[in-house]
Amino acid sequence: MRVTVRLTLSLAAVVVSTACAKKPAAPSAQVAVADSTAGTTGAVVAAAGPAVPASAKEYGKVLTLKETTAVSAILKDPRSYEGRRVLVQGPIVEVCAERGCWIRIGGDQEFEALRFKVQDGVIVFPLSAKGKTVLAEGVISVKNLTRAQAIAQAREVAKERGTLATFDSTKIAGPVTDIVLTGEGARVW
Amino acid sequence: MSGARSLKQLPWRRWSIALHRDIGYLAVALTLAYGISGVAVNHRADWNPSYRIAKQFVAIAPITATAVPEMVANAVMQLGLPTAPMNSYRPDPQTLQLFYRAKVYHVDLPTGKVMVESTVPRRVLYELNQLHLNGPKHAWTYIADLYAVALILLAITGLFVLKGRLGITGRGGWLTAAGTLIPLGYWFVYLRLG
Repeated sequence: MRVTVRLTLSLAAVVVSTACAKKPAAPSAQVAVADSTAGTTGAVVAAAGPAVPASAKEYGKVLTLKETTAVSAILKDPRSYEGRRVLVQGPIVEVCAERGCWIRIGGDQEFEALRFKVQDGVIVFPLSAKGKTVLAEGVISVKNLTRAQAIAQAREVAKERGTLATFDSTKIAGPVTDIVLTGEGARVW
Repeated sequence: MSGARSLKQLPWRRWSIALHRDIGYLAVALTLAYGISGVAVNHRADWNPSYRIAKQFVAIAPITATAVPEMVANAVMQLGLPTAPMNSYRPDPQTLQLFYRAKVYHVDLPTGKVMVESTVPRRVLYELNQLHLNGPKHAWTYIADLYAVALILLAITGLFVLKGRLGITGRGGWLTAAGTLIPLGYWFVYLRLG
């Protein structure tokens, strides 16, 4: 009986002490790899800091850039941004319904949006984030997809949207240029 | 000789049983949480395990305004919404989306057809899935690690709860082997066919 009580108490103590000792996630190594040239482009539109309310929720790693880049500028000339770290601000117009592993950020121009992809499980965006405003930091990647690759990607997105049953591959044109902001940190409010 | 005897005298089985029992009690709630959420999340290709997404359709008059603020004001007025949306977006020339908390209005501007998409977290399942998928991060990561260690201890100590015919040297051994064959067999077949 004494053994049982001692075991139970010590296990409980380990659980509680570990939980209480946890510190917030440390700043990432992104500081070291941040592209300082991102701030010198003419497409940088705003200082991001002051517009963010204190109630904003942080996802993943700490943002390192201070100035935002317009989505329209990235989409207009994606190759010039390829491999560069940028900070983008806009409304979250879509959230991956299956895993919360990507969001689409509405652009500063109509009909434009940029997909912000995070590693599965590292950040999980809740569906309730849809419609909120996001500051997302990441690296721009640009891929040329053949029609077959574009169909495969669209099929995967349809699966994540839960619209696979109505997916029509004949509507997918190709080849396409796929522009993605791959990131590890975001601030949502 | 005396070393072997003292090892035999150690009440290791009593300790093993005590560990198995007490860790088992401690792990009941987490096992239920992870088990229930596991089934729900396994089938997420077929349903959304965390949210209930409802779609309703309503009709308003077509919106002919060309400027976005006017479109938004017109749609908000026609839909009788009490406040302005958090954000609005035009995915294509004929659609206007209005974002409210847990609700999105997709307005087809030329026809006035509106799809109202509501997103409501599923009761209990949402919270269980959050814990299972480590949504909270921070301290929960370590609690989940401890739980994983507890499961390993449960598995090992469970092997030695019973002695004799029903224990690991008898029926228990056969069942353990059968249980091991499930992942090994699947892994082998998956690798061969995959």
